[in-house]
Amino acid sequence: MEVDSENGLLQRKQATYQSLDETFLIAKETYKGQQYSQIYFARLHLMRTMLYSLLPTWKPHLPSCTVLGLEQGKECVIVGTLYKHMKLKPSVLDEYSKERSASPLVQPCNFLHSDDYLVLEDESGRVKLRGALLLPSIYVTGIVVALHGKETGAGDFEVEDLLEAGLPHQIDRPLNSGEDKFVVFVSGLSVGSTSANPLHFQLFVDHITGHLGDEKEQGMAAQIVQVVIAGNSVEIGRGLLNGQNLGSKDQSKLSEPIKELDILMSQIAAGIPVDIMPGEADPANFALPQQPLHRCLFPGSAAFNTFRSCTNPHSFELDDVRFLGTSGQNIDDLAKYSDATCKLEFLERTLRWRHIAPTAPNTLGCYPFTDRDPFFIEMCPHVYFVGNQEKFDTSVIKGSDGQVVRLVCIPKFAETGTAVMLNLRNLECHALTFGSQFDS
Amino acid sequence: MASTGVKGFFREKKKGKPGAAKKSNKSASFGSDVVQPPALISHATLDLQEEYDEKEEVLRQFDMNMAYGPCIGMNRLDRWERANKFGLNPPAQVENLLRMEKANGLCLWDGRA
Repeated sequence: MEVDSENGLLQRKQATYQSLDETFLIAKETYKGQQYSQIYFARLHLMRTMLYSLLPTWKPHLPSCTVLGLEQGKECVIVGTLYKHMKLKPSVLDEYSKERSASPLVQPCNFLHSDDYLVLEDESGRVKLRGALLLPSIYVTGIVVALHGKETGAGDFEVEDLLEAGLPHQIDRPLNSGEDKFVVFVSGLSVGSTSANPLHFQLFVDHITGHLGDEKEQGMAAQIVQVVIAGNSVEIGRGLLNGQNLGSKDQSKLSEPIKELDILMSQIAAGIPVDIMPGEADPANFALPQQPLHRCLFPGSAAFNTFRSCTNPHSFELDDVRFLGTSGQNIDDLAKYSDATCKLEFLERTLRWRHIAPTAPNTLGCYPFTDRDPFFIEMCPHVYFVGNQEKFDTSVIKGSDGQVVRLVCIPKFAETGTAVMLNLRNLECHALTFGSQFDS
Repeated sequence: MASTGVKGFFREKKKGKPGAAKKSNKSASFGSDVVQPPALISHATLDLQEEYDEKEEVLRQFDMNMAYGPCIGMNRLDRWERANKFGLNPPAQVENLLRMEKANGLCLWDGRA
């Protein structure tokens, strides 16, 4: 897209894009009646093989054994899946045992309790874990770890040391390419919601496509090479979705938010490559990995080859910089079942556990894969993002092998009017906020 | 699983199982045979597995082996291929039986659990 300026045409910069979403697509999978035990087995096998390869450097003198092979008093290493028994975790059986009330039984909040305890499980059995090292509030069900310790008289396992998978291998990104190229992240647009201000989104679109501001502003906008919309782009009123038949007037209310989104998306797609990911509130499937939003929903934007509908989680490479991120369901679920000082800490933990969504399928909807676990992180990304958070936050973490990852929390645009700009050259991030409050 | 008429009530003579012919022609054996599992009773009728032979025995041992993961909900061939993909070296005999000799592709518990 070119814009006239006094010095000639301003050209938008470009970057080479490669999608890595193939592992999250489920078009080729068939459901044959399998249960979730299959994906847990695949996850355990995958991660246990990897952890066994790390054992010689971690505790070379100790033998490893299965849970059933534990002997009392004998120090050894066991590898298995963690299960956290939580007293306050909502159970579907409560619907039958407790009285029904108008408000839902489950209030979305944190379900931690001081009585929670951890259990380690593999194919042979499970053992309760004890030890001051192991704080149940940090861990969640579904992580695979290696534990050093011994069985106590009471039949529990006393943990002395713990080994997480750690950050995976990272390919060095190209250094110092010279020019600044920006990626814009935005999430939680909630088009169609009563609280979202459509002016903010329009301002955002006008700004990044170069229709706003003077030459200097347009010059900055010309450096944007990619837009990523990380989920919850529409909001359809809850009252319309309670399963009742809709009259024709209400039916048009269902499709209006999507139509409005399509109009705005086509304005973006006309100028910049844009990736749209589904989120919790979008018309996509519920279980992770969410499949790309259908092209039919975007008759206007899908005509552009710059428009890409992507899965959630989404992984791609831009100029050999690797990106990985979700629309927020995995981190929000972690926030319900564990504790941390900030969302970035959850992000860091998932990377160190080498698994995007360890609570799937326990408390997070997930497709029952049989022979693979697509949420296992094989290559370390350079940028790891999560959408639909309360505020913009970012940090850099380092791995033991020299990996460097930029973590980004993308705030909900409908509430904060803030998008995130990331510089591909040095992975630095800043916020881009739009407001429309006029004093006087 | 419902049995097919009278056939399910009287145990037939099996081919290739010398000595077992004498065992019993009229009633099911309850747990006396280590290899064959005790007969299941479903819907108040005896539920006897037909076509049970050494090949099926090999396949059942494959089903029950914990090293290859849970067997419920998966085809035997899919489970074998997964075990192969994971580098667990599943017995080639099982693959032969499933591919060449078209033995029963469903796991032991299929439809029962």
